[in-house]
Amino acid sequence: MAGKNMEIDAAEAKLKNMEHSEQHYFKSYDHHGIHEEMLKDEVRTKSYMNAIVQNKHIFKDKVVLDVGCGTAILAMFAVKAGAKHVIGVDMSTMIFKAREIVAVNGMADKITLIQGKMEEVELPYPEVDIIISEWMGYFLLYESMLDTVLYARDRYLAKDGLIFPDRATIYLAGIEDGDYKDDKIGYWNSVYGFNYTPLKEVALREPLVDTVDVQAVVTEPALALTLDLYKCQVSDLAFKSEINLTVRRDDFIHAIVGWFDIEFTAAHKTVRFSTGPHTKWTHWKQTVFYLQDVLTVQQGESVGLTLRVKPSDKNRRDLDIAIDYNLQCPDPKRAATGTCTYKMC
Amino acid sequence: MGNRPINDKDPDFSDDSASSGGDEAEWLDVESEEDEPLAVISLLDDSVFPDVMSMLKYCKENHGFDFLAVRQRLGLDFHGTVKLVNFIRQQIHDGCPLPETITAETIKDDRYLKPVVDDDALILSLDELDIDALDNEAASSAAENISSQDLVALNSRLEEELAAVKSQFANYRLAVEQTLERRWGDDKDVESSTKDESQYYWESYGANDIHETMLKDTVRTDAYRDFIYENKALFKDKVVLDIGCGTGILSMFCARAGAKAVFAVDKAEVVEKARANIFTNGLSDTITCIKGRIEDIELPVPQVDIIVSEWMGYCLLYEAMLPSVLYARDRYLKPDGLLVPSFATIWVAPVSDPEYMTDHVSFWDDVYGFDMKAMKTGIYEEARVEDLPPSTICGQPSQISHLDLHSVKPEQLNFRSDWKSDVNQSVESIDGFLIWFDIFFTTSRQETVPPRTGVDPSSPAGRIPSAVAFTTGPRGPVTHWKQGLLLVDRTKGIFTAEPGTGISGEVVFQAPEDNPRALGISMSWVTKDSEPRSQTWKLR
Repeated sequence: MAGKNMEIDAAEAKLKNMEHSEQHYFKSYDHHGIHEEMLKDEVRTKSYMNAIVQNKHIFKDKVVLDVGCGTAILAMFAVKAGAKHVIGVDMSTMIFKAREIVAVNGMADKITLIQGKMEEVELPYPEVDIIISEWMGYFLLYESMLDTVLYARDRYLAKDGLIFPDRATIYLAGIEDGDYKDDKIGYWNSVYGFNYTPLKEVALREPLVDTVDVQAVVTEPALALTLDLYKCQVSDLAFKSEINLTVRRDDFIHAIVGWFDIEFTAAHKTVRFSTGPHTKWTHWKQTVFYLQDVLTVQQGESVGLTLRVKPSDKNRRDLDIAIDYNLQCPDPKRAATGTCTYKMC
Repeated sequence: MGNRPINDKDPDFSDDSASSGGDEAEWLDVESEEDEPLAVISLLDDSVFPDVMSMLKYCKENHGFDFLAVRQRLGLDFHGTVKLVNFIRQQIHDGCPLPETITAETIKDDRYLKPVVDDDALILSLDELDIDALDNEAASSAAENISSQDLVALNSRLEEELAAVKSQFANYRLAVEQTLERRWGDDKDVESSTKDESQYYWESYGANDIHETMLKDTVRTDAYRDFIYENKALFKDKVVLDIGCGTGILSMFCARAGAKAVFAVDKAEVVEKARANIFTNGLSDTITCIKGRIEDIELPVPQVDIIVSEWMGYCLLYEAMLPSVLYARDRYLKPDGLLVPSFATIWVAPVSDPEYMTDHVSFWDDVYGFDMKAMKTGIYEEARVEDLPPSTICGQPSQISHLDLHSVKPEQLNFRSDWKSDVNQSVESIDGFLIWFDIFFTTSRQETVPPRTGVDPSSPAGRIPSAVAFTTGPRGPVTHWKQGLLLVDRTKGIFTAEPGTGISGEVVFQAPEDNPRALGISMSWVTKDSEPRSQTWKLR
């Protein structure tokens, strides 16, 4: 036990030397509450389980790396699927709990858990056959650790090695959200009879992570980003995308909703899940970007959008986001263009 | 009487303004931003003067332009005077003569809020003109009446005026900033405006969410509003201190209720938002925002009539600001002054919630076929913040603390108390203890809330006739404080008790010495059928 405590102390000392924002990021995973939420997200956990456990022919006798292993649930799925050995790496001190969990489940000889940053730790294998990771953040990229996964890929993945999951896509759509916009944004117009508009400007620039009813979606969804994890580079995580949203019905557009889909194409039968408004709840919910203007749209019209996303200069886990919108229509009174900027932090 | 820039620490100052001591040097430091000596550029040419009055005198004598007369004729307030200055400076800058008669219409445009001369010493010292008028008045009245009581009253009035002027200036700067931001926003490209805005807004972002949660906690905010608006007579013409003002809502309630002056104090960045909100709502003349810990700042008044504060934390005392409120009470509140709210009580009751235990504790026994019991380590050492349904309460609640906030001493906030409860439901197991608090607003120090008074959520006033009250307990509507849940350690045995069994024990609230912001809660309990047990939880 003394040895373990020393290790925890060492881990905490390591954390202390990091930048404050990084400490905060890793420490947020120290508490069991966040793991409880992630594990109870069945869409997430079952998709990984199916992709791994139903593909024993792929995992059998393979060396697997779990990037950001948390409670080691994915590592244990991989052992169940027949992996020769799984290495789990996580910066959070949760990894010491994960070791106990792995031991009581009789997998201590199959799973090696290493506390540290992926970029700094020494793996017991020079290369791995498969990388598994649950790296996704809100709006896919917020607080995401995709850059760490890409580092692990370039450094450790064998030629023809596999990545689970290997494809991620971001979609956008326009939504009618009058009531909620009133509640979230309009609220600041009159707070107990006082004008609180100085806070409204902040609220407008703050993307809202929340569930959106599929009935609220006014346009077809449009694909804004595709990431092929075998090929993509860290530089691809700052991107600009031009899309058109085709309007499905006469309505208003108060906001743009964004979500992502995840695919495991390496599985025998591709496993996929979506975090969109049309499907089951996940802990990622959706991300709502309120527009300054309300767009009045008619069926068949098209709203042009330019989405620009980049990691913040101050803290790379935060996102700077800008959306340009352009509604061209025969009625000049309804035509609208504008730019909204957001920050996820 | 000379002309003094407002922050001049001329020793004469304290004498002239009939001060009772050397405190001024300290309170002048509260906002010591502009300490450099001022060089006042003439309104009408390039001459430079050491102070405003000599410049104005020069303009009157050499150019025949009486600034003060124009100002008086148009009845200009602070902003109006600023516009007048900038209008004149713009005309002179553009080489245009001043119009025959300057009217209100001439200087109506808001663009005249923008300074024409950078760091215009005239604008920076405009408040001085008001002070001078006051000083003259003060000097004459001081000469007539020299009783020491009058001097003290005069002093505090002057201090208030000074604070108001300072606040006015801060608000003016805000107005200029906003006007300029809007203008620059028009002709700059998106990239750079994003950056400018982000510097301004995102610094303060972190706080927005929590303030939204608190404002939208209607149980909390409605109680303060109801008490203040239903007792306007209490607030009329009073001096109020708001500790931890956040977005400024309570200060604005007080101002609307008729307070003469409100000092809104917060140590967080959000005080800038409060200032903006207060400005937007036209209450800047009444409310002065001060950034800093109440212990570190010096209020510009020696005493206040009312202290209003929303200081409560989880389980009442976790991360609570109560010690700061008590400090301010002892330092600033008049002997017969009112604390809002004035009473707080804490309750504990046994709970049984098998569903909660399955969802959050047994959950770890089997996670997708794996044993994750290791995740349960520490689960019984941590107080949880949850809102449990009233049906989970399986014995009567026991009051463990009754705080008369007018008299409680800081050391009494670490306390021990006996508690007891009779089990009144047949339950499989008693899974833990639930902690909540009630808050009472009384209209005077004489009015008390008797011990063991509960708040009946079905009647908003609870059981005290004239008081406003609310509960954070399970029988009331949920608040952002929810309740504190202390789970009984099952690894030491399941705790069971038949209906009718009495449970008795002791509870201790204690802030750990190494971290006064954290909160430790210890409980002991025993029944006639069970061995004594005890357990300690930490809230963090």
